[in-house]
Amino acid sequence: MTASPENSGIESPESMQKLPLGVRLIPFFDRYGILIVIVAMGAVMWALQPDVFLSWRNITNIFKQTAANGMLSIGMFVVILTAGIDLSVGSVLALGMMTLAVSNAAGVPWPVALALSPMMGLAAGFVNGIGITKLRMPHPFIMTLGMLFMARGLANLISGGVPYSGLPDPIRFLGSARIYLGEFDGTRINLPVVFLFTILVYFLFWILLEHTVFGRRVYAIGGNPEAARVSGINVDRTLIIVYAICGFMAGIAGLIMAGRTNSGFPNAGTGMELEAIAAVIIGGASFFGGRGQVLGIFGGVLIMGLIKNGLNLNNVSTFWQQILIGAIIVLAVFIDVLRRDLGTRH
Amino acid sequence: MHKLILAAAAGIIGAVATAASAQTILVSMKGPGAGNPFWAAVERGATEKAAEMGVDVVVLSPPTESDVPAQIAQVEDQLAKGVDGIVIAPTDPNALAPVIDEAIADGVSVVFIDTKGANEGVTYIGTDNQMGASLAAKHICENVEEGADVAILQGIVTQSTGKARADGSHEGLSACGLNIVAEQTGEWDRAKGLAVMENIITGNPNLKGVFASNDNMGLGAIEALKNADMLDQVFLVGFDANPDAAESVLAGEMAATVAQNPYNMGAFGIESVLTLISGGSLDPVIDTGTVLVTMENAEDFN
Amino acid sequence: MNEPQMNTEAPLLAAKGICKFFGAVTALRDVDLELWPGEVLGVVGDNGAGKSTLMKVLSGLHPQSEGTLIFDGKPVSFASPREARDLGIEMVYQDLALAGNMNIAENIYLGREPTRKVLGGALTLFDHRTGIRMAKKHLENLRIHVKSVEQKVEELSGGQRQAVAIARSIAFDARLVIMDEPTAALAVKEVGKVLDLIVDLKKRGISVVIISHRMDDIFYVCDRVMALYHGSNFAEARLKDTSRGEVIGWIMGTKEKVESVAHDRVS
Repeated sequence: MTASPENSGIESPESMQKLPLGVRLIPFFDRYGILIVIVAMGAVMWALQPDVFLSWRNITNIFKQTAANGMLSIGMFVVILTAGIDLSVGSVLALGMMTLAVSNAAGVPWPVALALSPMMGLAAGFVNGIGITKLRMPHPFIMTLGMLFMARGLANLISGGVPYSGLPDPIRFLGSARIYLGEFDGTRINLPVVFLFTILVYFLFWILLEHTVFGRRVYAIGGNPEAARVSGINVDRTLIIVYAICGFMAGIAGLIMAGRTNSGFPNAGTGMELEAIAAVIIGGASFFGGRGQVLGIFGGVLIMGLIKNGLNLNNVSTFWQQILIGAIIVLAVFIDVLRRDLGTRH
Repeated sequence: MHKLILAAAAGIIGAVATAASAQTILVSMKGPGAGNPFWAAVERGATEKAAEMGVDVVVLSPPTESDVPAQIAQVEDQLAKGVDGIVIAPTDPNALAPVIDEAIADGVSVVFIDTKGANEGVTYIGTDNQMGASLAAKHICENVEEGADVAILQGIVTQSTGKARADGSHEGLSACGLNIVAEQTGEWDRAKGLAVMENIITGNPNLKGVFASNDNMGLGAIEALKNADMLDQVFLVGFDANPDAAESVLAGEMAATVAQNPYNMGAFGIESVLTLISGGSLDPVIDTGTVLVTMENAEDFN
Repeated sequence: MNEPQMNTEAPLLAAKGICKFFGAVTALRDVDLELWPGEVLGVVGDNGAGKSTLMKVLSGLHPQSEGTLIFDGKPVSFASPREARDLGIEMVYQDLALAGNMNIAENIYLGREPTRKVLGGALTLFDHRTGIRMAKKHLENLRIHVKSVEQKVEELSGGQRQAVAIARSIAFDARLVIMDEPTAALAVKEVGKVLDLIVDLKKRGISVVIISHRMDDIFYVCDRVMALYHGSNFAEARLKDTSRGEVIGWIMGTKEKVESVAHDRVS
């Protein structure tokens, strides 16, 4: 995709020597940063927990634990690509999950109940999109903050604020089913369905964003909305679709979490919008829009999961998880700032 | 990605059994001990008992009591690491049920503390709310003349805790011959407790005693009694011994409240799970006891 | 690039009695404009004279409040830039309107992306390869040199960006290109290249309307120059019939000779 900035550095060492070392390393970190971080984190965790960290069970645990955030993050990424934000995804997750659980308890057939979670998400996202474009809210922050409260309230309203448990297996399939692969070395190896699903979803989003006209227009809107508008792109319609996609993915996350917990609980997803934003930023997207790759977001989600997993395995308080994730967000954005500095130098 | 695939491959080939020296027990609490005296006491009970019994203990909790996925992940991760027993206060009994099932399927012994889980056949170690309410009723009986008018502020009686406290107080107060003139719900809420109390005293000016199923409603009721200048004649006992209530007891407004015993939850939890590990059996419910908090000991709960 | 059909008997574009009101503000009052095929028209005027507004009316971004547009002999009205574009009217904006995060090829075809069908036509994908091939050919055709059409636009110099913006405007059978200050943001050495590009468009039979403050630009590329003053037509002349001094006078709202201020640039 990109021309190679390193090559130009090799060709003209004199000009590069004028820049401080840290800045010279940016292009390198830019491309390989997330991989380096993941490998380094993996190495540290492996050294601390050699018996456990690389065990099949732990690896699959990480994917099970990050799946819901993975769904929220990829939806959030599409929104952030347009320089927007969606604060409502955690609440929309709960709304989808509770709609599913309550309708299942009311005797709605499972295929309908299962579809209701993503459909509620889609509807909430659509409303967000309409509010941002047609009601001309000054910033997506406002509309989606409103939706954060409305969706949470609605989730509580339809469920009476109490959890509903006991879901049929087909609904639980996505969040909890495992495929038995066989026995290796005395260990039963199961592959969580949600792992395969996550890979599939990220692949589809890669196709969508890199290889469809819609996806390229999403990037264009993030790069320069005015350019997109005068190029004849229907910016409003594109944004509505973008927020609908984000809501839909929140609904999918609700379905996964319902399957994983065999229940719907109305405070599900509280604060998860911030985790999704964190994963997207760590994954290399920019708040200014138009920047970031699907694979980077996958890395961002994985890093969040690795931090939590590593600290859990080492019996470290969750307070440290919060501190570390915060520090990594700041670091990730700082790297983005340095990258911009470099961009203005040549 | 490559690294992960390699890692996964290495995991398949080299899956290693965890070697255990001392036994390890996971204590998974609803909320962090830091800043919360209740969970701090559970943690202290567990770690002191574990030291006494010579086992390793890992105490973990999600950052907030609403962070259900964090608690599930912690249990999963510790299971991957290999623990022998789990003492858990589930943030959400239903949502935690699948991972508890997974632990039991792995042969790990599990007990619930503080909050009863949804899994069948797992021992619950916690406060016997009915016993606690009886304790409060007994205290009212001892301080109010026989046959006097008393009232009960119920919690939400469709919940097990609300029902147990309502039943325990009703039995206790009627057993010693007091006249229960009102049993109404304040839905655990301070403002609702106040409103319900106002209605009760309007119809029952000779009210002498009140049992409030939690301190919040009790503190609301005290406001109502103060406004009606009836606080001196009414002996009010609450439940939970939260710091506001302890302060009210010290100020001579609330007569008493009932404290749970979180230290015992931690200690009994360790003891019981070790019993299970060594092949013993447990009663389905183990009471950790309740303590009456009056002017004498309220300072400890403030 | 197809040779556009020319009709030298009638103007390509005629605007008659154009008014544009923004609330209580009158930005344009009864403005007339004619543009002939293959002609380069310079539009001058002081800041606020209504040049940019007139261009936005012509390109469909802001529909006029009153007046008629006749394009190629037929009355037209534009609800959006897309409708103007469909007739072959393109605008090159002063702020360039390029997406810096995307490559040159993607910018050239933004809004009119080449696609290919896969899975038996069930799915339509953006055709990166065709876009790159077409962009390369198009830029070569215009003798615009860039390292690679896959370079991001934000990595380009101001002149290169302007060249990309112009290349974009004539990527699809443009008959009229409107340019708002095409040289204003450029380094001196890049100005010549952009002006040559405009001359090149003229040779291809494309009509050009150019807004500029720079007399050098006007007198290098234009056939005719018209001045707006306070939102109205003020004066116009064929280039060979006027002088820099006179045009500068028009900008300042006077038809007397103002040799004393005959420097090249007023702004």
